[in-house]
Amino acid sequence: MTATIQQQVFEIIAKQAKIEVATIRPESTLKDLGIASLEAIEMIFDIEEHFNINFPDQQGANFDTDTAQSLVDAVQKALADKTATDEGSK
Amino acid sequence: MPTVSTRRVVITGMGAISPLGVGAAALWQGLREGRSAIGPLRHVDAGRLRVKVAAQVPESFDPAAHIDERTLPLLDRTSEFALHAAREAVAQSGVDFAANGLGARTAVIVGTGVGGETTQDEQSRRLYGENAQRAHPLTIVRLMTNASASQISIAWGLRGPAYAVASACASANHAIIQAAQMIRYGMADAAVTGGTEACLTYGALRAWEAMRVLADDTCRPFSANRRGLVLGEGAAIFVLESLEHARSRGATILAELAGTGMSADASDIVMPSAEGAAAAMRQALDEAELNPADIDYINAHGTGTPANDVTETRAIRLAFGTHADRLAVSSTKSMHGHALGASGALELVAAIGALRDSVVPPTANLDVVDPACDLDYVPNVAREMPVRAVLSNSFAFGGLNAVLALKRAP
Repeated sequence: MTATIQQQVFEIIAKQAKIEVATIRPESTLKDLGIASLEAIEMIFDIEEHFNINFPDQQGANFDTDTAQSLVDAVQKALADKTATDEGSK
Repeated sequence: MPTVSTRRVVITGMGAISPLGVGAAALWQGLREGRSAIGPLRHVDAGRLRVKVAAQVPESFDPAAHIDERTLPLLDRTSEFALHAAREAVAQSGVDFAANGLGARTAVIVGTGVGGETTQDEQSRRLYGENAQRAHPLTIVRLMTNASASQISIAWGLRGPAYAVASACASANHAIIQAAQMIRYGMADAAVTGGTEACLTYGALRAWEAMRVLADDTCRPFSANRRGLVLGEGAAIFVLESLEHARSRGATILAELAGTGMSADASDIVMPSAEGAAAAMRQALDEAELNPADIDYINAHGTGTPANDVTETRAIRLAFGTHADRLAVSSTKSMHGHALGASGALELVAAIGALRDSVVPPTANLDVVDPACDLDYVPNVAREMPVRAVLSNSFAFGGLNAVLALKRAP
């Protein structure tokens, strides 16, 4: 499951950065991957659309220094929150 | 360079409608009191939006009370604001455009970032959301970006050059500069100019949310805990004249628009450049024949985004050198929000107020020092001090910079 989410996130990153998925390592920062601020915002949008989640607003500002793994973690957290909300509303 | 004869340009009237109320006086009074008009977003879709705060024109503003019933159906909210502010400005100036053929020698240049956004949003909702078969027949005349300039031209019979200027968040300053240059170089004797914006629609708010530059609590320019900009709306409109024209009719002069500066960063579509902004500030000083040491106050662009405030601070240091440490710099966006294409016009009201009353409005919500923002930002409380000359900065997405230099009335 975890690997699947990581794979999906890495594929979105690779598409935005126009690089091979295999070159992305969990500790790579978006800056390392050559992703500028506006591209990072576009990538966040792609990830939100792909997983149907919302990242907290202020996360956008920090992604310049964040790593590929921290994006995966953020997706997992958002998915967990979403599940909790869905359960709660049943 | 060939010598061109130029004329001095003065401001003889101003009008405004802003989140701090109806009228330029209400805006200036609020700013000098350090009162923030930022509050919970009032919007029919507020419940499903992530944007929580905005600086909005008070609900008590009733266009029908100010604008005649035959004109009203032709207007988007942007034009309602612009026409109302223009009426106040023209009244204050006391100018009679019907006398001596002045109407034919008067320009109307109005800045707006997006124009008739409310109209666009409403009609899109009808067509795409409700599957309506037809758009309202006045959709085009309401939403066209030049509508405000045209409505002002029609209202006062102003037959000189008239059009809109668009440069996102610098629209108002670019428009005012264009109008001033027309007077300076003899293309017009007077101008009605400024900026207007009303774009707090569902579609526009969603677009801003997606860009992740909005603060979720309030606007804190230059403060280490700043979290982004807060959207605003409103309009401010001014009457400009050549100095000799204003003197010949015995007008009260509010301030001299002594210099202007414009530049493009030609780098990133959103990340600002200190060099581009500094170039515009230097140009404004040069045209005004001012030295850096002559400036006492800068009304900063000061959006409250992490990128702007640091870059603008560096730009001021580049343009002013050691005098930067003696300047009072404040961002009034902390109080009236970021009215995008109208913001430079609202801030010109603040700049004129500072010159006339010798009071610098504060930067509200500045409570945590940011080491990267190391100028005197006049935190939270207005300051009484001599103000001989002022710069007012506007910088836009797209890397477009427009700066006004003002002197006291001659």
